[in-house]
Amino acid sequence: MDYLKNGIIAGVLWGLIAMGVNSITGIHPFEYGILHNLITFTTGGAIFGIVAGGLLTFIHNRLPFKTSFSKSVLLTTCLWMILNMGGLLLSSDNPMRYHVEVPTTIQGFALAVLMGVIMGAMLQLRQKIICC
Amino acid sequence: MDQSIRKEGSLVNTLLLALLTGTVFFAIVVIAYGMDSVIPGVHDAFHDFRHAIGIPCH
Repeated sequence: MDYLKNGIIAGVLWGLIAMGVNSITGIHPFEYGILHNLITFTTGGAIFGIVAGGLLTFIHNRLPFKTSFSKSVLLTTCLWMILNMGGLLLSSDNPMRYHVEVPTTIQGFALAVLMGVIMGAMLQLRQKIICC
Repeated sequence: MDQSIRKEGSLVNTLLLALLTGTVFFAIVVIAYGMDSVIPGVHDAFHDFRHAIGIPCH
């Protein structure tokens, strides 16, 4: 359950960071207002965090790396790649509705890694607090 | 007796977590691909979020 709580908190934080990063890079100009995006980015981040945290609870023993940090980064990156591959499949079926944009894909990949970094850092911090 | 109760509690927790993870994964898919047929309006609502995290979208 610790992974799940950690995932939710990291996800909300990540949603806010993703919003900030996209505002700075301007890769996708926002079409909605800040209040709308605050709600959707934190909701989307929390949902991503629940799945990442839940999966980490089940498969953390089977992941190849030793530290929680590396495992978190691997998991969130893989999760994002699965979503992206689904998008690519949909794009091949319906290119008018779903089409790939390279800049947003690169930004998304970096953000997925960042989500793992946030989750992993929070887990390590928690372990340090419990240990000492 | 105590051990069997603890085992059962742990199993229930695991099942609940599996159910939650599965349900929320479905929610991710709905949001990521903007499936209005599942949740009306989800495509427009999460438009900026989807673009920012690099999921193919129009």
